[in-house]
Amino acid sequence: MKFLNHLTLGQYVPASSIVHSIDPRAKIISVVVVLSGIFAVNRIDSFLLWAVVLFVVVKLSKLPLSMVLRSARPVIILVLFTSLIHLFFTKGEIIFQYGFLTITLEGVMMAVKIGLRLVLLVMYAGILTLTTSPTELADGLESIFSPLKRFGFPAHEMAMMMTIAIRFIPTLLDETDRIVKAQIARGAELDQGGIIKRIRSFIPILVPLFVIVFQRADELAVAMESRNYKGGEGRTRMYPLVWSFKESIFMLFTILTTLLIILLDKRIWL
Amino acid sequence: MPIVVENLVHIYHEGTPLEIEALKGVSMNATPGEWVSIVGHTGSGKSTLAQHLNALLVPTRGKVIIDGIEVGTDSKEHRKIRQLVGLIFQYPEQQLFEETVFAEIAFGPRNWGVPEGEIPSRVSEALYLVGLDESFSKRSPFQLSGGEKRRVAIASVLSVRPRYLVLDEPTAGLDSKGKDELCALLEKLKTSGTGIIHVTHDLELALDFSDKILVLEGGKALLWGSPEIIVEELIERGIEGLVMPPVVELARRLRDVGFDVPVTWKAQVLASAIEENLQK
Repeated sequence: MKFLNHLTLGQYVPASSIVHSIDPRAKIISVVVVLSGIFAVNRIDSFLLWAVVLFVVVKLSKLPLSMVLRSARPVIILVLFTSLIHLFFTKGEIIFQYGFLTITLEGVMMAVKIGLRLVLLVMYAGILTLTTSPTELADGLESIFSPLKRFGFPAHEMAMMMTIAIRFIPTLLDETDRIVKAQIARGAELDQGGIIKRIRSFIPILVPLFVIVFQRADELAVAMESRNYKGGEGRTRMYPLVWSFKESIFMLFTILTTLLIILLDKRIWL
Repeated sequence: MPIVVENLVHIYHEGTPLEIEALKGVSMNATPGEWVSIVGHTGSGKSTLAQHLNALLVPTRGKVIIDGIEVGTDSKEHRKIRQLVGLIFQYPEQQLFEETVFAEIAFGPRNWGVPEGEIPSRVSEALYLVGLDESFSKRSPFQLSGGEKRRVAIASVLSVRPRYLVLDEPTAGLDSKGKDELCALLEKLKTSGTGIIHVTHDLELALDFSDKILVLEGGKALLWGSPEIIVEELIERGIEGLVMPPVVELARRLRDVGFDVPVTWKAQVLASAIEENLQK
């Protein structure tokens, strides 16, 4: 039915867990705090502590651990590349030498740290997108950025565009699939010939797709206006964001954990 | 040389959690000059079946043979199959992309390597078939009305001169006049020797025009045969979930209360049978 649906988009996994139920604003701010915490530490044992915290959060979220680990897959190449560069180009005590390649003790440490740091960053961000639906994320971001409205920042419009864009990805994939098939049936060859020919062969797909996108945008605008949509002013929500005691406790935990790990890392008490 | 489908099974995303068995062993056949309808609800597998006839999908199990070429054995043969079998998707007007109607209709023949000198005559022929005059060929397809766009899209497949024409819900969104015109065009193509494979949810329309009908439900072939056989089965068994054409339903109820009327879907035949009954 679909050529294109091996692409998994929007990785939200619904479940009923405490992590899922926390207000998106609290989760977004916590992730920002934790990410700065990961940047602030520099010892391997601190990274291991962050990994333990991650493990606890994953357990609380009731998601399979493998799913969170998998969220780091897209950056594996980047991690390997950065780690290798640090492995070979850090100066210090030489432990291995072959030709022009030298590996230093410092290099090994550096490579491990950089790798851990990147993987942790991506996984914490991954937990956020795995446990928060795109709509919640957009609502949360809108709410966080709404103080900037005073300075003309279009917080509501940004959130609405984000929601609509995410909503239409599967629809447009279906449309693309249908058009690709229709043109193949008319004898279009999409994977033949040189570069120029291949680029040209996408015209029969892109032109109809653009037409459909504009049509859909137009229809959606009419549908929204006919329901009296006129931007964010005075708009209420189906599911209002609620910041309760639970969120405050969650934030307190996040900030305390982050501070504690940073303090341990800097050996402040010694 | 016919189209033969034997025990066709198609499973989407086999071996993943998203696995769906869309076709569960379906058989049918069609020859040039024949009108075959594939009737079923949304999700019955009729569009999946149609895409096999054009080698856009490949059987998971079973066989699809188009004029002696088996789908799925050699992907190089698929282009040959696509030249033999023209496929018109639902809402084909959405596939238009060229600057002029002429270029749009010439797209297919050019892809199949029809010599440039022959293309103007192919375009005129296709325009004539769908009932548009030559003045359309210089216009932009995007400036046409909805009905005209659909004709251009159909012409863009006819210009390849396919031996078989597969149409997926070609009447969707047309008014009754547009429907009649389209069916008349298909009938004309049929008499000139093209095999018509018409995918639809409209059993009434299928009964009126088809030589053979395949009724699909949940990926299985429920009924297969001439309209007479289909109607007989419908009246005998009554198929769960299939909306009976009103005339068939009326004939069934009249027979239930003891009228001697024939098994039919033709209003005229039923009307004269009722008249005879009343005169007795």
